[in-house]
Amino acid sequence: MVADERMPYAPYPSPSGTAVAATPVPVTSANGSGPWFLARANLDVLLDLLHEDDRKIIGPTVADGAIVYAEIRSVEDLPTGIGDEQSPGHYDLVDHGDRRVFDYTVGPLSPKRWTFPPVVPLNVGRRDGKAVSFEPSVLEAPRLAFLGVRACELAALGIQDRVFLGGPYTDEDYRNRRRSALVIAVNCTTASSTCFCTSMGTGPEARGGYDLVLTELDEGFVVRAGTPEGADLVAHLPVRGADAGQMFRAAEAIGKVAATMGDPVPTAGLHDRLLAQFDSPRWAKIAERCLSCANCTMVCPTCFCSSVTQRSDLDGDVSTSERVWDFCFTAGFAKVAGGSFRSRPRDRYRQWLTHKFATWVDQFGTFGCVGCGRCITWCPVGIDIRAELLQIAPPLAARPEPARPRPIASTPGSFATARIVSVRPETADVMTLTVGDVDPAFLSGEFGQFAMVAVPAFPPLPISISRFGRDTIDLTIRAAGPATASIIGLGPRDEIGLRGPLGSSWPIERAMGHDVVIVTGGIGLAPLRPLIDGLLAQRERFDAIRLYYGARTPNDQLYREELRGWAARGDIDVQLTVDRAHDDWTGPVGVVTHLFDRATWDGSRSLAFVCGPERMMEATVDALEARGLAPDRIFVTLERHMECGIGLCGHCQTGRLFVCRDGPVFSLAQLGDIFGREGI
Amino acid sequence: MSVSSLSLPPADPVSALSASWFGAGLSPEAVARLAGIAEVRDVEPGTELVSEGQITEAFSIVLAGRVALRTLVPERGMVTILTVEAGDILGWSAIVPPHRGTSTGIAIEPVQLLELPGERLRVLLRSDHALAASVYPRVLQAVSRRLSATRLQLLDLFAREEWSRREGQPW
Amino acid sequence: MATVAARPRLRVGIVKMASCDGCQLTLLDLEDELLALADRFEIVEFPEASSLRSAGPYDVLLVEGSVSTPDQAEEILELRRQAKLLVTIGACASYGGIQALRNWSDHDAYREAVYAHPEYIESLATATPIAEHVKVDLELHGCPISPEQLREVLVSVAVGRRPQIREEAVCLECKRKGAVCVMVAQGVPCLGPVTQSGCNALCPTFGRGCYGCFGPREQANATSLARTFALGGREGVEVSRLFAGFTGWSAPFRSVIAEYGGPPGMTPPAETRPEGGSDARR
Repeated sequence: MVADERMPYAPYPSPSGTAVAATPVPVTSANGSGPWFLARANLDVLLDLLHEDDRKIIGPTVADGAIVYAEIRSVEDLPTGIGDEQSPGHYDLVDHGDRRVFDYTVGPLSPKRWTFPPVVPLNVGRRDGKAVSFEPSVLEAPRLAFLGVRACELAALGIQDRVFLGGPYTDEDYRNRRRSALVIAVNCTTASSTCFCTSMGTGPEARGGYDLVLTELDEGFVVRAGTPEGADLVAHLPVRGADAGQMFRAAEAIGKVAATMGDPVPTAGLHDRLLAQFDSPRWAKIAERCLSCANCTMVCPTCFCSSVTQRSDLDGDVSTSERVWDFCFTAGFAKVAGGSFRSRPRDRYRQWLTHKFATWVDQFGTFGCVGCGRCITWCPVGIDIRAELLQIAPPLAARPEPARPRPIASTPGSFATARIVSVRPETADVMTLTVGDVDPAFLSGEFGQFAMVAVPAFPPLPISISRFGRDTIDLTIRAAGPATASIIGLGPRDEIGLRGPLGSSWPIERAMGHDVVIVTGGIGLAPLRPLIDGLLAQRERFDAIRLYYGARTPNDQLYREELRGWAARGDIDVQLTVDRAHDDWTGPVGVVTHLFDRATWDGSRSLAFVCGPERMMEATVDALEARGLAPDRIFVTLERHMECGIGLCGHCQTGRLFVCRDGPVFSLAQLGDIFGREGI
Repeated sequence: MSVSSLSLPPADPVSALSASWFGAGLSPEAVARLAGIAEVRDVEPGTELVSEGQITEAFSIVLAGRVALRTLVPERGMVTILTVEAGDILGWSAIVPPHRGTSTGIAIEPVQLLELPGERLRVLLRSDHALAASVYPRVLQAVSRRLSATRLQLLDLFAREEWSRREGQPW
Repeated sequence: MATVAARPRLRVGIVKMASCDGCQLTLLDLEDELLALADRFEIVEFPEASSLRSAGPYDVLLVEGSVSTPDQAEEILELRRQAKLLVTIGACASYGGIQALRNWSDHDAYREAVYAHPEYIESLATATPIAEHVKVDLELHGCPISPEQLREVLVSVAVGRRPQIREEAVCLECKRKGAVCVMVAQGVPCLGPVTQSGCNALCPTFGRGCYGCFGPREQANATSLARTFALGGREGVEVSRLFAGFTGWSAPFRSVIAEYGGPPGMTPPAETRPEGGSDARR
């Protein structure tokens, strides 16, 4: 977390690997150090140099009524004398009639289109009899040079660097694309009415993250280098030292731009203010206008969410998997088997805005917004986020970072194969697969972790590890849809793809010396079974252990023999209830909270571990708190829509948390009032 | 797992009432007045204690054992929708009009009850307003707890999803 | 690709109601895959392309066209009985199509005006989507449907997985392609934001606003979009004209059309005319 959340970005190291300098690298030349001047007539020399370096130049050009980024061949392709006028929902080109080429602000495209392309092949999955294989697609990143990149776009690149490269799991395809692109920035000498980089602290002056930066004057460009590569380019350009007048006019132009923008979005305390308005009626008002069309997220240079699609042949034996742009405004984004966690447009809009201006800070240390104004211009109904941003306040608890074993296949395209050893039906729709030939990383996984399970032609799914054996792991799966049904249909010697072990675990060490209460329902017993194994393996280190397990009917109970075995031990209290039964069941019928809400044991001595449908967990948490357990002693595990399991597709976000990476096990204290909140 | 009641000595109404959840916190006078019309009764498993739709004769507190509340679903037969455990009340309809059981309650273990005859209890509560003011809130609380449970059961949160026949997603 | 001759092929039927046949032809557009498809699917009824006939049963029945005549209203009931999986293909079958514009108008008056012997014309007063008559298992949208989506449905049936039909606006296809928004940059009214994707943003790519032929997407906020069109200085009839197209009969578009004075050029409906749904013979 940075001290000033407005500080825009940590500039990515240049291709040579050295850190970007905040001040330009001087070139030792006859002119000495300092910025240079390139005459307008010599701009094409720069383009030629880039072509000679075998680079495609992605620069500004006019197309379809806008200034977009596209491959350009020469200075003729640049938008000479063209500028733009932007306002909410409107974009118009204007003809200035002069010779300047950078007198516009930003168009609908950004460098993100090349560093995080809309469609990227991930892998090819194949099935041959029982064996499966996943071949990650490795793409050659094209050699590019971005020309005309603005300060806000540089900040956006830095922000995506942090998302894709700054965490425990990285996207190497992104890294390769960043590495092979040269960045020639341009300081803005004009601003649109929709720009607000001054508020977000990202511009208008480029302060780092570039190889070269140009400031346009009537007669040419003031040039500075930001990296040795940039300096090397300058050394081959017909430049001379910039004189004082030119430097002054450059600085003055930038200063004027900053002044025009003012400070439309005061950001002091914005994170807290915004999150405090989570239940504001204003969200519903915005939703009356919002079309949930996702245009704002697509033009946004920092939005990074994606989905994984499969295209298979008719037998499902060969399947190409691709990563495509997909954003939180689409219907399927937050869907799981039981429904969608964010079905209403107002919840989706709130998710987007609070992510951009609040929870992004918790996740990555900066705002997610760079103030480029694209979302304002390209919203078909002209919603202006500056106007919509609300004002108020409280900080959320910081998230703890436990150390975890390094998971395998933890990149978006890869899976490691494992082989099913045996299968056991638990109930009519639940099966436990015992999987062997697994990477040792799985065997040293922790209680509560999960794996992403993949089979070609089906979407990969998060499945809890329900037992850690000596050389096998168990996966207990419920048939909730075609993908789970297909996995359940597999048998001994069939192979599957795995990624993991992933996620946070039940903090069993904290329970030592305390009473333990486990409350679970239905298939929720699966992720808790390893915890029970662990508790029983060192029974003497824990005081009373109480298991309360509810199921729909007696036939829907999981692990029935084990339940009998645990009860028969005599040193753990096992109580079962069902929602409904016939007369052959003589045990309790009702909800699992009734098993303990009138009990007399001392809650202040207990830690609780809870898993089940979210509504059941809410009722359970209420009952546990009424029994005297504090929020930092109640642990739940959340289920959300996951496409990658490693915090890169963006789907599983809940407030500031990535359920796959910060969870799925959380204490109530960590969740705060996110738990049980609608549409979050 | 509950305790078999036949191994317990017959309980005395006053102490049984005071020790129960229902009676905890009642004033000694209230306990005395209620215990005065109460009787301890032991029943065998299979005994029908409340009948759905019929007048409920007694308001009881379960001291030991388990009572299953059941209702008839024509295609499925008798289905148990809730069990009443030791400490909970049975037959609250005896003091709430129209005094008819809302489900059938059958002992599925040997059960010991503290029974208060419905008619006499109603007369007592009508005349002693202070007692009524202690009794009815407890009854409400017990019924409310059952209502929350029923709602959660209604949500059928553990339901096996019939995803193969859901709208627009046929397979 | 392995041919599995021993496995029984799934029986596929393709039938039409009131339609132009364009959606059926999309199957023939999958020319590269036809051989592979013929391996898994046995096309038992496809009057457009084959003289093989079968009255069922079908594992998969693709239905094109809207119900427009009394005979069709009966036929669809029998077809539903014969089909394990009934998939409507195209805007007509899924939303009523362009012919559903007659649902707002005086059907009898038009019939009298157009036909010399109107008494010989057996036609319902409304053209309605298949779902208003029988339960539909899956809808493919578009005018015509997307060959890629049709392929995805057939592959999914063959493999046994849920078809991946993305639930998103046309805007996502436009922006993934890098197309510039015609509404924002050129003031051209476009239904893209409230329309389901599937066409790869065909019309906006050529500078023309989306016609909405894939139908409204989930939770389409057509009211807000209509308001924006109206704010651009358009009169009511201009706004309703934009929505009264291939999928105008769909609920979100219908309510916008009603709000802005009904589809342009319609004869005022008779007082007693019912709103829609299966209609009695004249």
